[in-house]
This record gives sequence, structure tokens and C-alpha cells, in this order.
Amino acid sequence: MMKARNAIALAASLVLLLVAIPFGIQASGRADLYYTLTSVALLSIISAGVWLTFYIGRINIGQGAYALMGGYVSAVLVTRYGFSFWLTLPLAGLFCAAASVLIGLPILRLRGVYFAMVTLVLTEVARLLALALPITNGAKGIVSIPLPGAVRIFGLTLIPDFATLENPRLAFYIMAVIAMVLCFVGMYRLVNSRIGHLCQSLQQNEELASSIGVDIARLRVIAYAISSFLGGFGGAIFASITQSIYPSSFTVADSVNFMLNCFLGGLSYVFGPILGTFVLYFGWDILYSFGDFQLLIFSIILIALMLVLPNGLFSLRLSRSRGEVTQ
Amino acid sequence: MEQVVVNGLYLGAQYALIALGLTLIFALMNVLNFAHGQMYVLGGFVTYTIYGQMKLPFVLALVCSGLTLAVVGAFCEKFLFRPVIRRSKRDESTMLLAAAIAFLLDAVILLLFGEKQRGVPKIINGVFLSDTIVMPYDRIVVGVVAIVMIATFVLYMQYSKTGRAMRALAQDRVAAQLMGVNVERYSMIGFALGAMLAGVVGGLLVTITGISSGIGGPISIKAFMMVMIGGAGVVGGAIAGGFILGMMESVGLTVLREFGDITYLVIFVCLMVFLSIRPNGLMGKPWG
Amino acid sequence: MITKRTSLKIVALGAVSAAALAMGGLAPAFAQTKELKIGFVGVTSGPAAAWGTSNVRSMQTRADWLNEQGGVKIGNDTYKITVVTFDDQKDPRRAIAGMEKMAQEGIRYVVGPNVDDGAAAVRPVAESKGIIYFPYAFPKSLYEKPASNAVLGMVANYQSAPEIYKFLKEKKGVKKIAFVAANESDPLSQRDGGVAAAKALGLEVVAANDTYQNDTRDFTPVLTPIVRLKPDLLVLSGVAPGNAPLLIRAARELGYQGLISAETAQDATVLQEGAGALANGFISVGGASTPEIRSKTMDEFIQRYTKKFGEYNDESNTKVYALDYIIETLKANPAAIDNVEEYKKTMDTFTAPNPYVKEGHPLKYVGTTSFGQKRQVSVPMVVTEFKDGKFETLFVGSVD
Repeated sequence: MMKARNAIALAASLVLLLVAIPFGIQASGRADLYYTLTSVALLSIISAGVWLTFYIGRINIGQGAYALMGGYVSAVLVTRYGFSFWLTLPLAGLFCAAASVLIGLPILRLRGVYFAMVTLVLTEVARLLALALPITNGAKGIVSIPLPGAVRIFGLTLIPDFATLENPRLAFYIMAVIAMVLCFVGMYRLVNSRIGHLCQSLQQNEELASSIGVDIARLRVIAYAISSFLGGFGGAIFASITQSIYPSSFTVADSVNFMLNCFLGGLSYVFGPILGTFVLYFGWDILYSFGDFQLLIFSIILIALMLVLPNGLFSLRLSRSRGEVTQ
Repeated sequence: MEQVVVNGLYLGAQYALIALGLTLIFALMNVLNFAHGQMYVLGGFVTYTIYGQMKLPFVLALVCSGLTLAVVGAFCEKFLFRPVIRRSKRDESTMLLAAAIAFLLDAVILLLFGEKQRGVPKIINGVFLSDTIVMPYDRIVVGVVAIVMIATFVLYMQYSKTGRAMRALAQDRVAAQLMGVNVERYSMIGFALGAMLAGVVGGLLVTITGISSGIGGPISIKAFMMVMIGGAGVVGGAIAGGFILGMMESVGLTVLREFGDITYLVIFVCLMVFLSIRPNGLMGKPWG
Repeated sequence: MITKRTSLKIVALGAVSAAALAMGGLAPAFAQTKELKIGFVGVTSGPAAAWGTSNVRSMQTRADWLNEQGGVKIGNDTYKITVVTFDDQKDPRRAIAGMEKMAQEGIRYVVGPNVDDGAAAVRPVAESKGIIYFPYAFPKSLYEKPASNAVLGMVANYQSAPEIYKFLKEKKGVKKIAFVAANESDPLSQRDGGVAAAKALGLEVVAANDTYQNDTRDFTPVLTPIVRLKPDLLVLSGVAPGNAPLLIRAARELGYQGLISAETAQDATVLQEGAGALANGFISVGGASTPEIRSKTMDEFIQRYTKKFGEYNDESNTKVYALDYIIETLKANPAAIDNVEEYKKTMDTFTAPNPYVKEGHPLKYVGTTSFGQKRQVSVPMVVTEFKDGKFETLFVGSVD
């Protein structure tokens, strides 16, 4: 019964994202929405990683570091070594996951503000490394990255060359939306799996979890690696969309925003990052007509939201429905 | 080398003062105040307006900075942090609130004072010169004032009734409440005091480094780092952290200058390694 | 019975016919005053707010002024200028969204972005949607072929640096030169350009690796080792207007005696407030910045700007130009109003009198030497010396 409902929800969201929205955009002529929605989808993937670290009870303000790393891995592989973009996508994610295991082993022992601070510093370290390492082309960044090429198997074109498409924005949109759906289906499965339940025990009481035989160190590193994978994956796609990457492409401000996305959507809801990202991103855009007062109104709304809904936007839903992870 | 050490000490004194307010608020309420830097900036602009624009005495300007921020701090605690802490499921929600307040203050400051870097006339002219050390008199004054203020603050926390109550609160909120400490009242006083410190430092440093509307965020981050080095929520830790960071910057920028832009990379990596080894900083209380 | 659907139909029919009537009745009136939208995508909030703010305010001041005079006549039509702004928060991904938004609104000419990464990121959008944009960023790849839609809005430091260093070498006997830059993309690239220029002139570069965090408030530790080396000239590469007075003050208070220069535009008030008399002798580059060369029009512009926004920003001496370039080029070739290819054609031959300086320095597109094509606006390269709160002209150069 549950399974069937989930399948219907999934199908409905796919129809909405892949059919209804593009159709609506075509009808209204608002072609610029493709890019903004692509951004939202990708940012919510990256934020999903942050959400997962929240899920194991860690405040992660370092996701920008992995997004930057992923972007650079993809950009370097494509421009220097002629890799196909599609191959660099998983590679960028895996590279970040591997790096996060190395970094995570020592720092995941930290908790609360200490972990938050170290990850914040990590974002800055990533930026400075990008400036200092020879392979990243330093301050000049990597520019003119080609658009994703075609993928063919036995002469059959699975994915067309983006550069030849009439509307590469639509292609990026479809790619981002599919990635987002896969990501959140995966997250949903993960959270409702045995590992997910164990992770939640970490969030509540690590000592207790440890005492009943949960290998907390391993669990934490796994969650952090998945989180960083998502960061690197999203960063790599962004590098391809902007066709350039600079040390300043993902900064501390971005890391903070990823965290805010999760908060706003609600830390107890798997789909919180999507809603949070959507609201934060478009909230900013809509307020753009207020000119000088944009930031003022934005922050006042943010504060009001916190006062009215301190547990995130999803807590608006009165019943504890499926998306929520019980505390 | 003497010059490098003196630079580091001066930098450390001002850093320590910035970190004090942040750590106080953290100790009392477990809130990492993202808006600390913005409060510093606001204090700087109040002093700029009163001392720089209206040409009133500097001391008066400094007092006004402190008072303004105390009011802002008390307001934030009573009407924003307290309800959110009471109703939220998770402690971290206060971080979002603090970040939103940081945005709000940024916006208000930008609207009120504009986007330009501002400065005020020097409080004292002249430069102290010796064979090995060059130090302008106003920096010496600011450094000394900073150290006096740190000492006063420590003594206040140690011996006054309010200070004792706040320390009790920081150690164990529930126990303090049971012993008859008015938790709400002292949380508010503590928050106001922390914000006031930020404002006073902002006002004090406006005479040396000026002030501009965009630097709140970076100042907060720097203050976080000092607090982490020393240990969150411990007054002594914040002071130690401030001096350590000041000294590291001063020495690092001299020793590592040949290698290009790696000074801060080294400092940050050191910080990460240090925290991995000592998860609660030099003398911090553990989280949770 | 009138259902909801039929009532909707009636409303729709009514609306369409009303609109048609309006169009028919008012068409001649519309033809006389049209709207010309010019975009701005750049940073107007956060630590770098000063850069974009001076852009936006220059554009708005100028647009209001032109509209007050009845708009601008391009071809047979008169246009009111509307400035559409977008704050990219110095985030390259936001900058793309901004550019997409401009394209959506049918805007063909956009001023900005203000930084290297933003300018590089919007390039694909601008090229695919047919938008000409005027970045304040120096990477040559933006302006060299195959890129063709970006027009540099100011003088690049690799163009001004050689002239300034040459002048100082010959006139002030500079031999040893030191560089200091923030550890970010734009300043570091500019520093590398400056170092190359200094070496080409045979100057001894005594410090080229010193950097600072852009949010540094106290520059004494950064400058202590450099001042020890006793350079004749200290170059503040790509320095943000807010940091310049702090650097100058720290250097002077450490006993530095030599010259200090920067290749980016600065603001006199900021320098005066932040460093006072210590900033005297500071050399920087501005547009129509000094009273010696600026025209009555420029004086009026400054007045209007001050009246509108409370305080003038000297960075606008350069930033005032972009909007005039766009409008004057459109006047020269009205077909370019919705066709950037026409605009590009006109750029090769375009020339118009410069309203902002007393004489000479006509508006024209340059950049052939640096980029191999005319993709830069010609702004008088006024090298200035700061003295008691004002800029004084040292010499005036130009770029080709």
C-alpha cells in the first residue's frame, strides 16, 4: 500500500517536473525560468548533502568546499585530459567522497559549533587551495569549458551533444531535475533504511548508540561521504553550466546558504532542502523589484518565518506525514 | 622581529576583545551569534556618526555605541531568540535566526550609512619610534584600552553579583535556576552585554581601521575562529584565542611571505588539525 | 445561465477588444516615445557593494537626466531610458540568472558584471541570447576572439600599469617596486600583469608574493616586511576602494617613505577620511576625474548624482561612460537597437564627442592592441595624485 502511494507520488512529481513545467514555460514564454529552476534543482541536491550531515547531528557549513572541489575535478578532467563530461560527473562525486573520508575521519569527532566552525574554515581552505595549486590555474580560473558532449552506445545516441542543441538550457534543466529526483529518492530510501534509523540514533545520543553496538565512527564517515558526493556532483554540473570555474565560485556565503536551505525547509523532513532552496532562491528574486530594500525585506521575512515556524516550512503540514522523520 | 611581536600583541588585544562578546553569548545561551560582526559594524557607525560627523567627544561616542548595541542585544534576546529557543525542536534553529539577524543588520546598516568605507580623525597623532619598533600612538592607546577593558570584564564576571549569576548560568542552566537565579533576566543581560562589547570594539577600532558596511560577516568568522581556538564559551579561551590568532597572522605573514598566498591556508589548516586533536579547543566546554 | 467558463470568455473578449482599441487609438503616441531598457547585472550588496552601487547610481542619474530632457532620439523615435538592475551578490551563478532575466525582458545592452568570475560565467548566455555586456573585469579571454559580446568598461591595469610605471621611473626616479594584493582572483591577476609590466620596464621587483585576506582590517602585519625592503614604489594591485586608505595609512605609519600607487579607481572622500594627510601623494587612475579636465556636463552630473543619492562617488568618473557609449552608438546606428550584430559593426567606426571632458578624448571603441579587436570603451586614462582631499592630474594617457 505504502509502496504504491510512493510510486504514484514519484510518477506525479516526474510528470510535473518533466512535462507540466516545461509546457508551462513554453506557453508563458518565460525561458529564463529554465535556468533558475535548474539552479534550484542543483542547489537542492547540494543542500541535500548538508541535510544528511544534519541528520547525523552535525552542522555542516563546509559544503561549498566540496562543490568547489567537484567543479574543479570535472573542469580539469574535461579541459586538460579530454574526459567526457558525463564520466567526470561520478568521478567528481567520488573524488569528493574520498577526500571527505580523509577529512572526515579526524573532524567528525567534533560536535556542535566546533564541527560547524571547522567546516566553515574548510570552505575557505578549499578556496585558498584552488588559488595556490598549479593544476587549478590559480586566480585566472578555468574558463571556456565545453558543454557536455554526446553519449553514444553502438551508434545509438543516448544523450545528444549539448552544444548542438537548440536550447541547451532545457537540456540542463532536464538533467538537473532527473538528478534531483534520483537524489531525493535515494535520500528517502536511505533515511527509511536500517542505516537511516541508525543515523538518527546518532543525532539523538551518540554515546547511547555506541553503547548498544552501533559503529558510530563508520556510520558518520559514510553519511559525510555521501553528503560530500552530492556536493561534488552538484558543483561539477554547475561548472559545466557556467562553462567556467574560479576559486570564488563557491564561497563561505554559499556554504551558509546551503545550510539555510535545510533549516528553512525543516531539518526533520527529507524533502526540506528542495522546499527551502526553492523559497530562498525565488524569495530573493521576487523581492528584486524592491530595489534597495530587497535585503531588508528578505531578512525580515526570514526572521518572521523563524518566529512563526521555527521547525521549518514543512512543519506547516499539520499531520506527521510520510516525509517527516520522527524525532 | 620585535616589530612582528608587537604587531601580533596589538592585533591579539583587539581580536580578544571582539571574541569576548561572542563567547559570552555562547556560554549563556548556546547561541553562535552570526550577527556579532554586524553588531561590531553598527557600533563602529554609531561612533563614526557621533565622533566623526557631529564632532562630539570620542568617549561619548563610544558610550553611545555601547548603549545602542546593548539595547539591540537585549531586544534580540527577548523578542527573537527567547521565543525561538522555546519553540524549536532543535538548538540549531537559533543559528538560522542569528544568520537572519545578521542579514537584517547588514541591510539596515547599508541603508543608513551607505556602501562606502568610512573613517574618523585620529584620536592622537604621532608615532612612537625606536630602533626596532614603530608604533603609532593611537594604536598604543587602543591596545591599552582594549587590555584594560578585557581586565575589567574578567573582574566583573568574577566578582560582581551579575557576573556570578551569569557564570552559574553558563555552567548549568537548570541548577542555576533551581538555586534561584532569574534565568530569563540574566540571559537578557548577558546577551546585551555581549552585544555591547561588540559595539564598543567597533567604536574603538573605527579610529584605526575605519568601518564599512560589508565587513560584518568576515569579522564574525574571524571571531568564530578565535573562540574555537580557545574553546567556546570560556572567557579565558576567547582571550587566548584572540592573542594566538593575532600572533599567528603577524608571524605567518612575515615568515611565509615568500611563498605567496599560503599564510592563511597554513593558519586554517593548523586550526583544523589542532581542533581534530583537541576537539574542545584549549579550554572549552564540550557541546551538548 | 452564465457559467464561469462563458463569463471568462466574455471577459477575455472584452479585454482583447479593449486592448485592440487602445492600440489603434494610441499607436501614433506610442511611436513617438518608446522605452529603451538598459540592464545592469552586478554586485550591489555585501562587502563589494561599493563597486556595483557606483555603476547603478551613475546609470540612474544619467538616465533620469536624459529623460528629463525629453529622452533620447534614436533614428526616428524618441526613447525614454529605463535602467533595469539585478544584484548578483557577487555570485557567478546569480549573475547568469540576472543575464537570463535581461534576455527575458528583451534587453540587448547590459552593464556589468563587476568581477572576473561573474563576467566569465555570463559569457555563454550573452552570446547565445545576443546581448552586448560591459564588464568591469580584465581577463583578456573575454574580449579576444572568438568572444565578441563583451566590451571592457574601463582601462585595464595591464594597459595603465606600464604607463604609470614608466612615468614614475622617468620623472620620480623609481627603481625598486613592490606589489601587494588581496588573495582573490581579480587582484592576483592584476598583480601578475603589473609585475610583468614592471619587469618589462627594467624595474627591480622586490616583493611580488605578498597577499592579504580581503577582509583584513589591520594591514600592519602585511606591510611590515615589505616596508623593510624599502621599495621606491608600492603598488596596491586591484585594491578595493575601502582597503586603499587602510593600506596607505599602515604603510606610512610604519615609516614608509616611497610612492604608493594603484591602478583601480578610488574615491577621494574615502581616502581623506581613512588616511587623511597620509594619503597625499597617492597615485591612482580615474576617468573624467579632475577639475582640470572635466567639462560642465560632468560638473552637472556630479551635482545631480549628489542631489539624488546624497554623496558622490569618484568611481563614477569612469562608470558614467558605459550608458553614454550605448546610447551614442545606438544613435549612430538605430538598427542596432534590437540587433547586436549591427552594434558590433558600428563599433569599428563609431566616434562621438565626449561630453564629460573639456576637449579631446572622443568616445570611440579601442582595444586593438590588447585584444586584437575593438572591444573596449575609450575612457581618458587620467593618472592622478591625491592631495588634501582632491585628485590632481599627473598626466592623461589613452589606450588604443
